[in-house]
Amino acid sequence: MKIQGYVLSVILFLILFAGACIRRDVPQNITENSAQTETLSVNEYPVNRKNVTINGVDYLQTDAPVGNFGGTLINSTIGEGPKTFNPFNSKDATSSTLSDIMYDGLVTIDPVTGEYIPKLAKSFEVNGNDYIIHLRHGLKWSDGKPITADDVYFTWKNIILDGFGNTSTRDSIAVEGKLPTVQKLDNYTVKFTTPKPFAPFLASLSTPIAPKHVFEPAVKKGKEFFDTFMSTNIKPNELVISGAFKLTEYVPAQRAVYKRNPNYYVINSKGKKLPYLDKLVYLIVGDVNNEVLKFEGGELDVIGVRGTDVPRFRERQKKDDFSLGNLGPDTGTMYLSVNINDRKNKEGKPYVDPIKQKWFSDKNFRTAVDYALDRENMVYNVANGFAKPLFTPESLNSIFLNKSLRPYPRNLEKSKELLEKSGFYTDDKGRLFDKEGNRVEFTLMTNAGNTEREAIGVMVKQDLEDLGMKVNFKPIEFNSLVNKLLSTYDWDMVIMGLTGSPLEPNGGKNVWMSNGALHMFNQRGQDEYNIGVLPWEKELDYLFENGATALTFDKRKKYYDRYQEIIYNEKPMIYLYSPLRITAIRNKFKNIYPTSLGGVIHNIEEIYIDKEDKNGNP
Amino acid sequence: MEILKYVLKRILQTIPLLFIVSLVSFFIIRLSPVDPLAELKLNPSVSQETLQRERERLGLDKPIGIQYILWAKSFVKGDLGITSNGESVAQKLKERIPNTLLLTTLVIFLTWIVGIPLGILAAVKWKSPLDRILTVLTSIGMAIPSFFFAVLLLIFAVKTGWFPIGGLTGANYADLGFWGKFSDITKHLILPVTVLFTISLAGLQRQMRGNLLDVLDSDYVKFARAKGVSEFKVIFKHALRNAVNPMITLLGFEFAGLLSGAALTEYVFQYPGLGRLILEAVMKSDINLVMASLMMGAIMLILGNLIADLLLIFTDPRIRTGGENA
Repeated sequence: MKIQGYVLSVILFLILFAGACIRRDVPQNITENSAQTETLSVNEYPVNRKNVTINGVDYLQTDAPVGNFGGTLINSTIGEGPKTFNPFNSKDATSSTLSDIMYDGLVTIDPVTGEYIPKLAKSFEVNGNDYIIHLRHGLKWSDGKPITADDVYFTWKNIILDGFGNTSTRDSIAVEGKLPTVQKLDNYTVKFTTPKPFAPFLASLSTPIAPKHVFEPAVKKGKEFFDTFMSTNIKPNELVISGAFKLTEYVPAQRAVYKRNPNYYVINSKGKKLPYLDKLVYLIVGDVNNEVLKFEGGELDVIGVRGTDVPRFRERQKKDDFSLGNLGPDTGTMYLSVNINDRKNKEGKPYVDPIKQKWFSDKNFRTAVDYALDRENMVYNVANGFAKPLFTPESLNSIFLNKSLRPYPRNLEKSKELLEKSGFYTDDKGRLFDKEGNRVEFTLMTNAGNTEREAIGVMVKQDLEDLGMKVNFKPIEFNSLVNKLLSTYDWDMVIMGLTGSPLEPNGGKNVWMSNGALHMFNQRGQDEYNIGVLPWEKELDYLFENGATALTFDKRKKYYDRYQEIIYNEKPMIYLYSPLRITAIRNKFKNIYPTSLGGVIHNIEEIYIDKEDKNGNP
Repeated sequence: MEILKYVLKRILQTIPLLFIVSLVSFFIIRLSPVDPLAELKLNPSVSQETLQRERERLGLDKPIGIQYILWAKSFVKGDLGITSNGESVAQKLKERIPNTLLLTTLVIFLTWIVGIPLGILAAVKWKSPLDRILTVLTSIGMAIPSFFFAVLLLIFAVKTGWFPIGGLTGANYADLGFWGKFSDITKHLILPVTVLFTISLAGLQRQMRGNLLDVLDSDYVKFARAKGVSEFKVIFKHALRNAVNPMITLLGFEFAGLLSGAALTEYVFQYPGLGRLILEAVMKSDINLVMASLMMGAIMLILGNLIADLLLIFTDPRIRTGGENA
């Protein structure tokens, strides 16, 4: 009797305790959600920026509403934090974000149209292969030294073109192995010349410009030294910067704190130097869940919201002081890839089981898989309706999106027809066999821990089992999965996501060109280049080579339209959906004009804190 | 002199032990199908040349035996190498060690300050309602998984807003005065300390209670009582001295735990300690970092045991004489 009493009290205690802490989210129904998507609209960015010269200094003037100075914005970055504060060494998104705040590039993208517009440069001209950059007069680094053509020349010649740090910029601008050249015309003019007409070059001009007097000693010490130059151990007061904010404190695994640059060259319509905000803080949080909790706890001011979290945020919004914004389709894409590799490894063993090889290399089979997938269902159930079905490799906000490729609904009849055409049959239990009598059974993988992909995996499995296929769904650790995809090639189907640029499809050449380093669905090792290239892979090679060297948008679009059409038809990678980008930001911040291309704080120098709200208004 | 010789002997014994530990750990990590360059490889903007350079930099292009020899050579020289991101391992560890020490010493201090008296109390008041309540509470403490408890507390913090959501310092920490900094850190520490304290307290209290109960049952305690020695003296002068020996061994293990951290709790609370660093390193097979931490763990364990054994020599005359005879 006594023991029972104890047990009962323990259970009661736990129930009370847990009950107080956990409240189940109210499930939302589908129609309600899709209606809600529309209401999360954001203001359009109405701001014009022009160059004005005051006392010999070429400022960039914005006509955004004038605000008050001071205050802090707390943002976050997920993961382990930055690995370096050297913008030329960064190889991951966090390091790039945290170092690029401090260094402006010559050009930047217009957050609305996606065109390249001058930033650190006052203006630029493009004549065929020549790019002439005019710099602003009177600009200074944070240590007072002037910013001149020497800095630009040094950055390009001695850092980028000579291959210091992360060489991806250099690799992306090489045309048939040849690199552009850079020339200093006078103290404020620089000329770049590409060996051939090469459209993606303009984008590379957004690379930060380094202060020569700080970086030159490091470059002279060689590449190995440069790799560790300006690592995260750097003392913030040693930094010399040109951007809107400067690092003042970095606490590993906790945060990076930036202070405003009092000499920044962007001014408001009253001629006052921006940015308005005094401090910008990036908290380093380990995972998405913690980020959400920190936002809810009021420790964060801005956050990207996953589709699954939107209902929860909507509920909180009623009591809390933030607003949600729907920025439209994100640049991320979710896809199901099929391994069509039919080669053998060095020991003469095929990478993929020859029985499965036959299925995967059969276009009918891949198309049947595609038509069996219920994208709408995934959008509603995995992303809570905050996503759009996707059928092309370009993301839905890409300016190169081929709009003539129509979406189609799930069609099991068509799938079955296609399978029958290739000799597949089902037995009386509904199990699918190929024409040699092998049961259709394969493994579907994704990276464990990504709940979104895991949920999609379950749905894909169910959808394909409607065709009688047996799908073994197996989420595995990310690094092991990548090893399979890119080194051992022993996988069947995989669910992954990639982030591409909505402005420059040439970045996808690593994925689509037959010898590309990320040509996952038919990966070739270095000794397998040009072996077994399928006709449509050859055409993709041709399209990407020519798409990059065509200069006008219309000419380029033709090449990139055709590439999307090939993927749409051949289905080596079956695209599933593109999430919508939902963000939340506290209401006290003004001049908030989120855009699909720029995100929420693309105009960080114009953002200010409303005084009234600052004084305790909820 | 005897003791010095003994210590020397123990230290010499650790060398082959460390060698075996390092060999086994190195090969297990390297033979797992985890690709340390996975993130770079999946980044479309990273070229083959860059990858090849990275491979050479990390020594991944060499056979695994050679990799081990290279690692061991530099380890013996005291060089811990670089992480897969090119940062110095020693520097990374240095950043995290103070944070972890702060958390673990605080927890150990609290558990011993509370656990030992509670254990004694429970043993003395054996089978009383107090003992039973303590038993129930410690059973809960032992049974509740640390990460689950941590998550519950985190949700509690979000709902009430009384505590910060993880981390060690607030965003405006650098601007605070001394007392502001102190209270900021205290606030951040309460929840993680609560989790670790609850869990280790349970074990310690049970251990102490059990030891003391054993001793209280022995003949010499009965004799002391029969002689009319006061109960206070019986317990504190006679029983406790004997019951404390196993606790000293336990203290040695606690010492080993000082730097191994509590990865799960640290992870949930986003605590910038060693545990979280190493967990992340293991996930991407960051060999130098993982090896450094494993070796550190091994050395701390050996050191902890040595200290415990030495303490025992001082506290227990039986071991002292036993050591000389052997």
